[in-house]
Amino acid sequence: MIYKIIEKWALEDLFEGLRANYDEVVGPQPSKGHGGPALVFDKLTNFNDLRLDYDTTILPPKKYFLNPDERILRFNRSTGDVFDTEPVQISRAIFGMHPCDINALLLLDQIFLGDYVDPYYQAARKSTFIIGTSCMPSPGHICNAFGSDEVHRGFDLFLTDLGDRYFLSCATVPAAELVDKYLDAREPVAADISDFQARTRQFKAAFKYLPQMDQLPLLYGAKYEDEDLWNQIGDDCLSCGACSMVCPVCHCFDVRDKLDANGETGLRHRVWDSCNFSEFAEVAHDYNFRPTHTSRVRYRFFHKFVGNFTRNGKMLCVGCSRCNRACKVGITPARVIRALQEDANANVGAETPDSADTVSAKKDCA
Amino acid sequence: MSAAIHNHGSSLKPAYPRAIVLSLASDFGCQLQLSNIADLLDVLGTIKLEYWQLMSSAVLPADYDIAIIEGAVTTQDHIELLQQVRTVAQTIIAIGSCAITGGVPALAAQDLGKHVQAVYSDDADRVAAGRVRPAPISNYVAVDYLVAGCPIDPREFVTVLQGALLGVRQRQQREPLCAQCKTMEAPCFYSIRAAQDIADGMATPQALCLGLVTRTGCGALCITRGRPCTGCRGIAADANLSSARTFIANEGLDVDDFDDALRIYSSHALDDGGEEQ
Repeated sequence: MIYKIIEKWALEDLFEGLRANYDEVVGPQPSKGHGGPALVFDKLTNFNDLRLDYDTTILPPKKYFLNPDERILRFNRSTGDVFDTEPVQISRAIFGMHPCDINALLLLDQIFLGDYVDPYYQAARKSTFIIGTSCMPSPGHICNAFGSDEVHRGFDLFLTDLGDRYFLSCATVPAAELVDKYLDAREPVAADISDFQARTRQFKAAFKYLPQMDQLPLLYGAKYEDEDLWNQIGDDCLSCGACSMVCPVCHCFDVRDKLDANGETGLRHRVWDSCNFSEFAEVAHDYNFRPTHTSRVRYRFFHKFVGNFTRNGKMLCVGCSRCNRACKVGITPARVIRALQEDANANVGAETPDSADTVSAKKDCA
Repeated sequence: MSAAIHNHGSSLKPAYPRAIVLSLASDFGCQLQLSNIADLLDVLGTIKLEYWQLMSSAVLPADYDIAIIEGAVTTQDHIELLQQVRTVAQTIIAIGSCAITGGVPALAAQDLGKHVQAVYSDDADRVAAGRVRPAPISNYVAVDYLVAGCPIDPREFVTVLQGALLGVRQRQQREPLCAQCKTMEAPCFYSIRAAQDIADGMATPQALCLGLVTRTGCGALCITRGRPCTGCRGIAADANLSSARTFIANEGLDVDDFDDALRIYSSHALDDGGEEQ
């Protein structure tokens, strides 16, 4: 890792450097959509659109690695011909990924670059340059519970905001070359390191709430059949699947064939799916092994907190808060964790770990 | 809530299945959408279209394989026609909200006599003879395939028709719209409506988006174009109406307004025991 310091005004030079070297530069910016105010990762044509001090975006940068609608092959019913779709080779720089989103990408790497390498994911991963950026926790952000408030790999370049300047961490050769070629950067001095430490302390202190994670996987298993606990959550669930779509780690997909109008040729699509859809667990003879809202919502969090944890040692949540906003009825990871930790036999009056998070979950219910 | 499934699993036998297009009570908008199919000639190459009142003066043949039906049932004649069609057609495809949910015509189902009286006065029995409570066609006959929407999306119709021709079972997406909306990355109408944001024109006050409970599949067509969902595809099979109403109340919106908005396309389901369909 090479460390450098740049003045804030130099950021535009970095943007221009990226533009010169990549087909597309994307970053957080105000949505051009019509609903409420929101930020999205989108193509940056104007540096001034970039919002590096952003809170969160509707969709995570996952969309650049797992296309919501990947066309994986073309077929012909009459001839039986099948033509695999080659992964699209576009070089892209993602500006401003938060530590949670980079950590989410590392989790997706375990899944899509593990025993079975997914060519589309792999191609996108190889051709993407990642610039991480430091953040400050907003209410509802619980990355601290999953250790994803810090990131030490998975990026090319990381910018830590020191107020009037950025502390740069260059993790790769392309990053070092980019900094060398386009930026007026200097070596960090003791005062920079000191400010970096102060900034880190300020960041850690800004978390107002830490979910109680003690024995969570075990507790989950033990309370899996607790109908009251799960019905309280499941009765609220709209079964809309918005949580899965906005999750930087959810990665389930469905495969669907779509015929052209001639009825002979067509495309096979790989599209985002959600275990909150009742269709997800439907098998032959109309049998559905998760037929209720409750069974589906219980399963979704089980996979996140237990399923992958017992296999890979990682929970499939980075605490980014996107689902807090997407879910209209306040079903958040923090709520599920709280429900699991609650002790039905504990003394009445015992203080429950409530906090700004509850308030924010309602306010942000957006 | 989705219409009963009649028959599946066997593809239609003739090389070019004979199709007819019928219309009950509706504004013909969905038929018009059929004529808007971009690759209409390709589609017509896969069937033998024998009857389509909007396009041709040919008379209804005695025999056919596929009946494509638009509109709600509002008269005794409609019921008899449907029952006749069901005995002939191997496959019935219901298109549009009128046919599937009762749609706008079903709004008149409550206090039907009063509405008829208001419109036709003393002439009601002559002008609106044989009237029945407006209802979706699945109230009277089994329906094999559905194309939801007001009006339908011609591309979705083509996909459903192809499924019918192949004899494959129609996909049953039961979830409401929100997931598609997120995938399109459309900002939510229920996002934080801070007073300042409203004043700045950044947020719409009191937007009543029905996507929360509406059958998905439209690709968030309205929302991505700046309009809240009006629920034209009907209530999703997995919709959680009670939780959605609680949310609406928590948002400071009126639950009755929410229900009234839903009634435009789903009054049959809400008021006429439509859940049983």
